[in-house]
Amino acid sequence: MTELAERFQQLLPHLLGTPALAVLLTLIAYFLSLGIFRRLGQPAWCPPVLLAAVLLAALLMLLAIDYRDYQQGADWLTFLLGPATVALGVPLYQQFHHIRALWRPILITIPLAATVAALYALVIAWALGASGEVLASLAPKSVTAPIAIGINEQIGGSVSLLMGSLLATGVLASLFVEWLARWLGVSDDRLIGLTLGINGHAIGTVRAFEISAIAGAFSSLGMGLTGVFTALLLPFALTTLGVI
Amino acid sequence: MPLLRGFLTLLLFLMLGEALRLLFQWPVSGGIIGMLLLSLWAMLSGGVRDDVALASQKLIAILIVLLMPGVVGVFFLGNRFDGQWPAIALALVGGTFLSVLSTLALLRLQLPDSSKARSHD
Repeated sequence: MTELAERFQQLLPHLLGTPALAVLLTLIAYFLSLGIFRRLGQPAWCPPVLLAAVLLAALLMLLAIDYRDYQQGADWLTFLLGPATVALGVPLYQQFHHIRALWRPILITIPLAATVAALYALVIAWALGASGEVLASLAPKSVTAPIAIGINEQIGGSVSLLMGSLLATGVLASLFVEWLARWLGVSDDRLIGLTLGINGHAIGTVRAFEISAIAGAFSSLGMGLTGVFTALLLPFALTTLGVI
Repeated sequence: MPLLRGFLTLLLFLMLGEALRLLFQWPVSGGIIGMLLLSLWAMLSGGVRDDVALASQKLIAILIVLLMPGVVGVFFLGNRFDGQWPAIALALVGGTFLSVLSTLALLRLQLPDSSKARSHD
């Protein structure tokens, strides 16, 4: 009997040694969050990704699983972000005729909007006395996760704080786009999608696909171009400004 | 096996993107280079094969699951940034509000009658 109890204690570490537990917990949190999201009436202020992250964090804390152990197992999921990013090329192509019709405003807006997206947050945080590490973690907040991590490798900062900023930015951007588009009288799915992608990266793009396929394609484009532009300019800009 | 064949194509473009990133030292991730190459390839070859469209649709549908492992890290930061949370929160909320407002205003300035144009579709 005591032997069985001993083995029972080894159960969690053993299961954590395989990716199965990490992937299982992630999926449980995901499906629970979808159910709750539907029950709440699909509110924009509380998207599934936020619910899922909170539930997953609660599960990990409840089971006393170290975040680093979890992350190792969940690498199986994180790896798929690469092919999933490539996959966004398909809606981009399928909606290309819409994009070509708007190429001029797109080319003018994205560099300006991507610059101010980083700048506003940096100026506010800097004025309130945030440290250089915090500033570096906040700067790529509007960029999609795989690119943001690439930028982080160049400019430094905390990866976890960066990922949290990405979550907050994506959720807030989805919410603010909904409010401000109505307030400004913008009802064009193309512009709403573009704004979601530029400001809210992949989370905004998930929201855009909920609105329509056109919004999703424009969001993918906005996300991609904002990512490319920010990755090229941010390291250079921060070095010049003396932040890093 | 169309799903796997489509996935194979996506992986090939990802590898190509990664290779270009390394060879030319581009600061952009291989996934984004692969995404741009895939849409360029579709334009040049006149379309996306059904298997690639299928695999891409399936992956995009589970994007949230793929983001979760990284995102959940914010709940495990501990006390490392104590005292800076008001600055962080205000920068995120205020910064995002202002940048969404700027983007929408900028787009509306360039396409003043866009809301009307759409409603006739």
